[in-house]
Amino acid sequence: MNRYFFYNFMLVSLMNLMLFVPHILVSNRYSGAVASLLVAPVIGAILIYMFTNAMSRYPGLGFQDILKLHCPRWLVSLSSIFFAVMWWFSSTIVVVAYAVLINRFFNPDTNSTIILIVLVVAAAYAASRSTLTINFIIEITIIVNAPIILFILFKMVRSPQLNLDSIRVVANYVTKMPTIITISAATLIFTGYIYLALYNRLLPPNFRFKHLYIYPVLGFIILVITFFVPIGFHGTEGVDRYIYLWAVTSDSLSMQYGFIERVVFLFLIVFLNLTLVYTMSGWHLGMEYIKGCFKGSKPEIDSPKAPLSNYIILGTFATATVLYLIFTNEKLNYLITSYWLVLRMFTEIVSVLWIFILSRRRLRSE
Amino acid sequence: MNERIRLLFAEAADLKTYTLRNKDMSIDIAYIAPLCDEKMVSDFITVPFTKEEVSYRKHLHTIPEYLKVEDSARWQDLLLRGNVMIRDNETGDIYSLFTGDVICNESPQTQVESAIQGPQIALSEDLNKSLNLIRTMYPVPELGIEEYSVGYISKTPLLVLFDQRHVDPSVLDNVRSKLSSISVDMVHAAGELEKLLIGKRRHLFPTVLITERPDRIARALGKGKVVVLIKGSMFALIMPASFFDFMHAIEDNYEAYWMTRVLIIIRYMSIVLTITLPALYIAIVSYNPELFRVQLAFSIAASRSAVPYPSYIEVFIMLFMIETLIEASIRLPRYIGSTATTVGGLILGQAAQQAGLVSSIMIIVTSVVAISNFVIPINSLSFSVRFLKYPLIVSSIFFGITGVAVGLFLYLCYLCNLRSFGKPYFRLHGKINPAEGDIGQVRTK
Repeated sequence: MNRYFFYNFMLVSLMNLMLFVPHILVSNRYSGAVASLLVAPVIGAILIYMFTNAMSRYPGLGFQDILKLHCPRWLVSLSSIFFAVMWWFSSTIVVVAYAVLINRFFNPDTNSTIILIVLVVAAAYAASRSTLTINFIIEITIIVNAPIILFILFKMVRSPQLNLDSIRVVANYVTKMPTIITISAATLIFTGYIYLALYNRLLPPNFRFKHLYIYPVLGFIILVITFFVPIGFHGTEGVDRYIYLWAVTSDSLSMQYGFIERVVFLFLIVFLNLTLVYTMSGWHLGMEYIKGCFKGSKPEIDSPKAPLSNYIILGTFATATVLYLIFTNEKLNYLITSYWLVLRMFTEIVSVLWIFILSRRRLRSE
Repeated sequence: MNERIRLLFAEAADLKTYTLRNKDMSIDIAYIAPLCDEKMVSDFITVPFTKEEVSYRKHLHTIPEYLKVEDSARWQDLLLRGNVMIRDNETGDIYSLFTGDVICNESPQTQVESAIQGPQIALSEDLNKSLNLIRTMYPVPELGIEEYSVGYISKTPLLVLFDQRHVDPSVLDNVRSKLSSISVDMVHAAGELEKLLIGKRRHLFPTVLITERPDRIARALGKGKVVVLIKGSMFALIMPASFFDFMHAIEDNYEAYWMTRVLIIIRYMSIVLTITLPALYIAIVSYNPELFRVQLAFSIAASRSAVPYPSYIEVFIMLFMIETLIEASIRLPRYIGSTATTVGGLILGQAAQQAGLVSSIMIIVTSVVAISNFVIPINSLSFSVRFLKYPLIVSSIFFGITGVAVGLFLYLCYLCNLRSFGKPYFRLHGKINPAEGDIGQVRTK
């Protein structure tokens, strides 16, 4: 069932647009962003290989279940709560950014808090479903939306407005050393493998990861498009004027035939779906991590009825998200996100190394 | 025996009890006349008894259709199912003979799910005739058939059919336990049984396929599904069913490949249209007219210029009219039905727009919604899809296009969350490598 792994990877690598990755990279375009485009696939490939290798030794077990086998309880609970907060926050940034985006582009008259409440309630309902259901939802959303994204990308790359000269100018800064912030932004594209921390529970025992080389290549292509296409459209200098860089970039295109003229609407609807799915997926992971901390919790992948604890945990998540919107503004959100990206990268490296060492130790002891 | 049977039943004029006597023995017989075939009673009992070519006791012992009844508690039940009770007065043994004569429709044509080419015959209301059709279309020795009866009063006989080689044991167990746990007084229709089997009081989508076509049943059996036949209803239940089964007309298997694929795509497109179009109309007219290209936005605005109220009232007026029209044409007798559609069509088509009640675009929207709803091949799905547009309309009134997209996402979650007898209801089936196993298989019992 390699395709389910692929969907998760695609979901995260497309969601980078909502996590301010293009903006962070573009504002560092003269100071190391280009080189980090080359470094990120290497780091991503190593992490993907290590993580899948470690997880495939524990068929049907999630990250937390594996830790429970090897580590003391307090350490598992502590790390689980930390991971849960990280997962909650990764989705919160996206959904808050999108609520503001809807307010900017779709319904300028409505209050973004109300929009956020609607989005959050929908995502929380979806996240309270079983793990198996979550995977089906991810699958169908990616399959429905991917052709539209491919169409938009195709239109952009083929557009005569894309100025190849400015792309070349920026590409020449490849010799500048990458900084920690650009690397952490660029590696986000490759981070879809980390969903395996929970979804490994679903994979059948005889499962084998195939075609792993695809992921770094695909991620690299997405990364290059993410970074260079806006530069081609807005020029080397104009490009860092926008925070929602890709929404503005897609607005520079028009479709001459058909009902809808402005590409931005297509883009927004597609990313609304992806945002909801991403939020759902992240919150579901956070929820399962917290549920695993309690004594006597049994991991279930397809319970016919959602237990009450799901609703309580997700209600807390949703409320916290709304409070986050109320107490921060766009500028603060952007700042927090760029620090969060760095924290995320180190958390990921630590957890991948941890699980890798555990799996090797087990191999040796057997 | 006869006195006791008369005591068991109320004052029933149709209960017949006789005592017959010939040279060497005497018997008591009892039966409920309308339920039994009188000709069979005379052919099997009275004539051989009086002719005495062979001793009637020998008949009773040799012919396997005479079943010995040991338990007097079963008398009532046997009589009510069209059996004749016979008592040999010398030995005291009691026998029953089935002479039931059940009125049912004779080998009917398919009416609900018709196919242009392909079998034209539908299931019968009699279980034996239905079974005859299914056995003929699916002649394998592995066909397992189990008998059940549901309803405390109606005691409706059911047959559960499955192919022993292919059937999923977890589904079969699930169906068996659900059937034996049903506690109601009466069951007469397939839809009624479906609700009892699902066990949920409020369901949005049908999770059991109801069909009248024996060829569909044979195909389902071959795929390892469980089929339930009900006496007195010409519809069978197929379970588990997935959403995609409901979108599949049986003729897709019989006709040319490419056209049927196109038809399937058209069906999915029309299901999306029928759900979203009214909501999108509201969202675009009232919130985001800039979504469309300028010329189109202008022509929509121009056609709405005579309409004095907001778009959602317009939508509610038109949908109310179309739903009542559909409902009236189903419920009315066939002869008046056509009048209703003509009158309604006239109003919907022209007059409403000329009177300035609704815009002409809205008329197109309404008719697209209605027509694309009829494209869905299975009636129960088409019925539930009719409802889906209303929650979307409400969310689009308040949140515009965002509301429509969020609503669709919620429908998707609900669909993916549904299980039909433990099997996923809405799931894309890609290639599954049997050596590798399926996702989520690890922990299933």
